[in-house]
Amino acid sequence: MAQQPAPQPTPPIPTVKMKAKAGFEGKPVEMDINPAVGDLKPWDLDTKFSVMKGRYPRLEGPLKVTGRAKYTYDIKLPGMLWGRMVGSSVPHAEVVKIDTSKAETLPGVKAVWTTESRTVRFAGQDVAAVAATTPEIAEDAARLIEITYNEKPFVTDLEKAMEPNASPVYTPEQVPGNASIPRNGNILGPQTGRGLKRGDIVAGLAEADVRVEATYRVSVHTHAPLETHGVIAQWEGDELTIYASTQGVFTVKEGVAEALGIPRTKVRVITEHMGGGFGSKLAPSASGSQFAVVACRLAKSAGAPVKLMLDRKQEHLCTGNAPSALMTLNIGAKKDGTFTAIHHKSYGSAGIAPGAGTAAPLSNLYQTTPHILGEDHSVFTNAGPAAPLRAPGHPQGAFGLESAVDELADKLQMDPLELRRKNDPSPVRQMQYDIGARAIGWERRNKKAGVYEPASGGTPSRSTKRGIGMANGEWNVVARGSGVGCEVRIHRDGSVECFSGAQDIGSGFRTAMAIVAAEELGLAPQDITMHIGDTRWPEGPGSGGSNTTNSVAPVVRQAAYDAKQKLFASVAPALGATGPDDLEASGGKVFIAAKPSKSLTFKQAAAKIAGEQVAATAERKKQYELYRSEIAGLQMCEVEVDVETGQVRIIKMVSVNDCGIPVNSMTTESQVIGALIQGASWALFEDRTLDRSYGTMVNGNMESYKILAPSDMFEAMSILTPVANLGNNTSTAGIGEPPAVPALAAIANAIFNATGARVRSIPITPDRMLAALAEARRRA
Amino acid sequence: VTVEPRVTLLRALRNELEITGAKEVCDRGGCGACTVMMDGRTVNACMIMAWDAVGHEITTVESFGTPEKLSPIQAAFVECDGYQCGFCTPGMIVSCTALLKKNPNPSLDEIKAGLAGNLCRCGTYGRIFEAVGKAAKVMASTKPAAMKTVSRKGE
Repeated sequence: MAQQPAPQPTPPIPTVKMKAKAGFEGKPVEMDINPAVGDLKPWDLDTKFSVMKGRYPRLEGPLKVTGRAKYTYDIKLPGMLWGRMVGSSVPHAEVVKIDTSKAETLPGVKAVWTTESRTVRFAGQDVAAVAATTPEIAEDAARLIEITYNEKPFVTDLEKAMEPNASPVYTPEQVPGNASIPRNGNILGPQTGRGLKRGDIVAGLAEADVRVEATYRVSVHTHAPLETHGVIAQWEGDELTIYASTQGVFTVKEGVAEALGIPRTKVRVITEHMGGGFGSKLAPSASGSQFAVVACRLAKSAGAPVKLMLDRKQEHLCTGNAPSALMTLNIGAKKDGTFTAIHHKSYGSAGIAPGAGTAAPLSNLYQTTPHILGEDHSVFTNAGPAAPLRAPGHPQGAFGLESAVDELADKLQMDPLELRRKNDPSPVRQMQYDIGARAIGWERRNKKAGVYEPASGGTPSRSTKRGIGMANGEWNVVARGSGVGCEVRIHRDGSVECFSGAQDIGSGFRTAMAIVAAEELGLAPQDITMHIGDTRWPEGPGSGGSNTTNSVAPVVRQAAYDAKQKLFASVAPALGATGPDDLEASGGKVFIAAKPSKSLTFKQAAAKIAGEQVAATAERKKQYELYRSEIAGLQMCEVEVDVETGQVRIIKMVSVNDCGIPVNSMTTESQVIGALIQGASWALFEDRTLDRSYGTMVNGNMESYKILAPSDMFEAMSILTPVANLGNNTSTAGIGEPPAVPALAAIANAIFNATGARVRSIPITPDRMLAALAEARRRA
Repeated sequence: VTVEPRVTLLRALRNELEITGAKEVCDRGGCGACTVMMDGRTVNACMIMAWDAVGHEITTVESFGTPEKLSPIQAAFVECDGYQCGFCTPGMIVSCTALLKKNPNPSLDEIKAGLAGNLCRCGTYGRIFEAVGKAAKVMASTKPAAMKTVSRKGE
């Protein structure tokens, strides 16, 4: 293992004092901020945008709709071989022997790899790999590899794994995770993370007039991006080029260089277009596989480029998933609804990995509650390790917390929206409650759950009932304050290039960065030629935690500004200006700010550049002070339940979310709508099912691992509430995670309002719905 | 093109002819990402052996338009943001094209039914439905003679 160098003490960064108008329309807040010297004043509530107020189609759109966009999966290099991973067919075993002799002698097979690890802990774990001249020969060769296992007992079910005599996934000394966390059999915990403990939970619950205690369950969800994980590895001498379907080109570069023991300077990683990841593609290879490193080794030994894409089943098995959860919520409140205490005790299984982390939302929501305790437990099972999925842990945790809040409202006979409003210190969400209520028509909800009121709309038949519910969600502002760069070049012919190594995972990052540069340069987004997704360009972050835009946009703006100043210096004499500070660029023109009639077109101005181009490289120096360190949101949902068949149909979902100042409302809304749909899909359908007897995945495909299809579609609405959040010079924040949090609970709460039946397990399948209806009838 | 008998139409298109618009996602006809037209009818190219396609007219997403000159459906996808990662898009475009040829003015329910075999994981269905509606309007306002007719055979 490489030793990490000791962290160097960072010298203090010289700063300047500035004022900015933060907050949102109707509630501005004058803030003092201290950016680094040379950093720009942030865009704030006073900023008059000329480009960023628009809605822009994606720059790469024409390539995507004509089938011309080349994804990793589409690349074919001369002489390229086809690689294939071979995963363990059993969930827990010692590998006794891997016999590759038959595979090696198969005509067309050019390279074979076998694992050095002798232990497998989940079905699908890397054991061997081959590279051959066609994908079909590679499949044959994979089948010819004979693996002898010494099988061990295994456990795949969360609750079974918690039993005292459950078969251990790890021996006590092998258990991963921080040694300070208590461990007991397959259970790692309790762990109380940052922000999950305040006051005295026992005293807080004792102070309550009304209490709700309930247990909730959430299934394992797999990311299932349409483009599976994969790479093409190409060696030219000792130089390695990797085309990767990844969320982090720099992560791949660092991870592969370290695994192969070669300098990072020899590795280049390229991701031009990427077919979905949702958090699963943040590792150098994947959370449960080393396929990228294996592909590089196969390519080296075969002396030819190797394309190695996982197949659909492998994608489900070894590239990550969102942990299951088994949560007990205990909430206490005074008669007037004021929360006294919230106890969130959570068990979750991230398979063989630690860190299920499903009590997380308690560290964000209802921060004025005097007594809280969140206790996380990771339960090991013989299943593939989890990977971050849009807002890791939060959708599961919020399903528990926000369902329990809804149950408390029912017990208090309070409007659940008013109960939340009463306990919510977020000024942003206080504004969002009214917007969401108007958008869904909150007043139409059944005043008594399950008792239909004509105002609730629809045309309920004898067996269908409609209802409306809601849930909150929150995510923290995550940004890189350093280690992010950008270069902008203005050419003599007026063309502009912008270089950022970060990748576009489908979020619209490429277009958003062109918009930021265009805003600064007074051009249109399509005037900017974007170069992204390549480790040759300035460093960008991995696209996770909703940090890409707000990490990179500030350096794009800074580089565009710095290049513009150089352009202005070249142009100033021709316009009769005393210097660059007298000039402005807007609407495709460069002009004297005090006398806009003295102007040149951008193209004419660029012609004054002495050399071929002016260029500027910017790096992030530090994060600015934030208006709010959270990104707030809520969701409203209307459902229709057929009480005879248990079928749930979503009629409408509304997301109201903050994301700082949105750069491109069109693509930002698309991302939010995507979160609503993915949430609805998890809430109603998604459930990774492992065979109890064999430990393998039963539905490792796309017809039995059901995801939401066009016929299940509902009216999905995204309302963005812009907040000048500062934090960086663009006031951007993230949107990938925040809207992924509330959906599960919003849907379950709407179902309760429709039927009076409380479903406490995700996915809400017809059998669970019918069982909950039967239970509700028994109680009534 | 000469391929082994077990090679699918999809892999022959992608790996031999390097026509890579159609994607292999589920490899068992469950997601529609590999949708192409065979004699004008939509099929999952992963479910058809290459040699069963011999002598048939295969139309892929690449033939509907170019980045410089988009078809009305392709243009509507761009305008309505009918994709995020874009991996399902080629299959969606083929299915939408087939849908509008059969039914030039589909209702929302007819659009949903027409796209029932195509999955999108990023969650863009609503935008796609909008794009189909928009394309239908654009196509209705242009002369029918401008539309290419594709002969249908072998139903």
